[in-house]
Amino acid sequence: MKYYKFGNKNGRYIGSNNKYDVYENTIASKIPENNAIIEKKPYEIYFNYGPSAGGLRESVNFSIVTPGETIRDITVNSHYKRRKIKIINDDINNALLKIERINGFHTASNTVCFLLAIEDALDIDNTGSNDKRIIEIELERIRSNIDVIKGLCESAGFSVPEKQLLYLREKITRIISDTFNHRYFFSANQINNVCGNFNKIRLNGIYDEFYEIYNSLLESKIFMDRIQENGIVNDINSSGPAARASGYKYDARIDSESLTYDNYNIYTMEEGDTFSRFMVRSNEVLASINIINKLLREIGNGKNNTEIKNNSGEGTARIESPQGDIFYYVNIEDNKIKDLSMVSPSYLNIELFKKAVKNNNILTDFFFVWESFGIWVSELEVDFI
Amino acid sequence: MMWFFKGIKKRIKTENLNDKYKIEYPSALEGKSDYNCPTDAIEDQKWIKEKCIFCERCDLKPTHNQDLYNINRNIPAIFKKSFYLYPIDSGTCGACNTEFDTIFSPQYDTNRFKIFLSNTPRHADALVIMGVYTEGMEKIIENAYDAMPEPKLLIGLGACSISGGIIGKKIGKKFDIEILGCPPSPYTVINAILKARGDVK
Repeated sequence: MKYYKFGNKNGRYIGSNNKYDVYENTIASKIPENNAIIEKKPYEIYFNYGPSAGGLRESVNFSIVTPGETIRDITVNSHYKRRKIKIINDDINNALLKIERINGFHTASNTVCFLLAIEDALDIDNTGSNDKRIIEIELERIRSNIDVIKGLCESAGFSVPEKQLLYLREKITRIISDTFNHRYFFSANQINNVCGNFNKIRLNGIYDEFYEIYNSLLESKIFMDRIQENGIVNDINSSGPAARASGYKYDARIDSESLTYDNYNIYTMEEGDTFSRFMVRSNEVLASINIINKLLREIGNGKNNTEIKNNSGEGTARIESPQGDIFYYVNIEDNKIKDLSMVSPSYLNIELFKKAVKNNNILTDFFFVWESFGIWVSELEVDFI
Repeated sequence: MMWFFKGIKKRIKTENLNDKYKIEYPSALEGKSDYNCPTDAIEDQKWIKEKCIFCERCDLKPTHNQDLYNINRNIPAIFKKSFYLYPIDSGTCGACNTEFDTIFSPQYDTNRFKIFLSNTPRHADALVIMGVYTEGMEKIIENAYDAMPEPKLLIGLGACSISGGIIGKKIGKKFDIEILGCPPSPYTVINAILKARGDVK
């Protein structure tokens, strides 16, 4: 393991799974969580929403403690769609098909991080695929951030920008499909290689179209009123756009060596509300387009030569997915998965969401706060067996 | 009012279904292959479309034909007037959810075919089940189906719900319409529904 070691807490907190607490540089044994049951007061009710309801894209249940208007406390029950994925003892290629389907909307982040961990374990030089992987992940970031902003417009009942952003999301998906032969990057990634025709990526129109919608939203007093000063959270244990919206300069593009970015400038806000998260995500869409355009001028379309020296070892990787840090640990024996562990950004984002939503918010703020974190239950509720 | 004019200014973005843009995967595959398929989608060198996750590893070639669906019963004519769908996520990776969401984007504008989303199974004509079987969602799917008025349909969307895909077990239900793919493209979803209703010959 080049980048990580087992030990005590060292560096910022990345997140947890059912086995480990992961920090910036170390993997520590998991400290059990204290999930206290929320007691309601006599004048309060439990308001249950989900796991299956209109307005929810995934199956998740919220139990809200409320006297009728304000949200005093909330429990998020995400276990309903918990999947048991049989992956231990699979060979690497077979395992890759399953990793692609942990979070289909963020397949590029998951597969690239998994493969980087494999390459670390098997001591494979992967510098040749670094830039192609960055392009892939930044394309995914553009689509993901557009999707989150679309969700905010939907919550506000702003059908025109919502549909315009949905149109843009589909446009990006088609660029991905034309380039990588699949709308969700399935089968695009291999060890030290990305299968794609990068000449097909043209993003100039996307920049202008998104910039126009972004500016129009900023000019809308109604929209600003709905997202400013709601869902405020400021927590040192945060990651991704939520951390950067609270002023923390946390970004694996800067502080992780798994993928090497060249001179990336972190965009931050200070207030930590839904508006700040909207601003960070919007500016990162524009930044990602610039990163891709710059890299497209530099890369070739050829396949990298891969020399595999070992068939066993332990490896880790941490990269910046659209929602925050994603981390993989793998233990390989004779090219088979002996152990696998993943920390998804949704773990920390759910904790932040719970803090944000009960911070002086009312029930109508709920959707704005939920959408602003871009949480995916699919990547959170996974057991590797 | 500002948004109204901004919307008008962008003009119509909806595409004709006959002008569908081409995708390679998922589309119907042709040819023969000896590949040892991890989802058993190849038997005696022949392709079994219901089990395929379109991983691009076998020798079968994509045809760009996105008509990947099975219609397993006669669909009542009443659904031609309007058709309300209630999606339910059993255990998806998120790709099927997103593709289903995409059928309401301006490019596809499924509302023009009198197909709408329902916020409750009580007002729905069809339950669209996505993802593999999960213990936690079994009872919830049962309750949603029981809450629907007659006549009602059950639609399986994606390889996971129909065959279990590569991730897990299939949903143990007989679907009236099976929409195949991993995930099915928006055109496949729309065409399957239109064909089942008899809108497309």
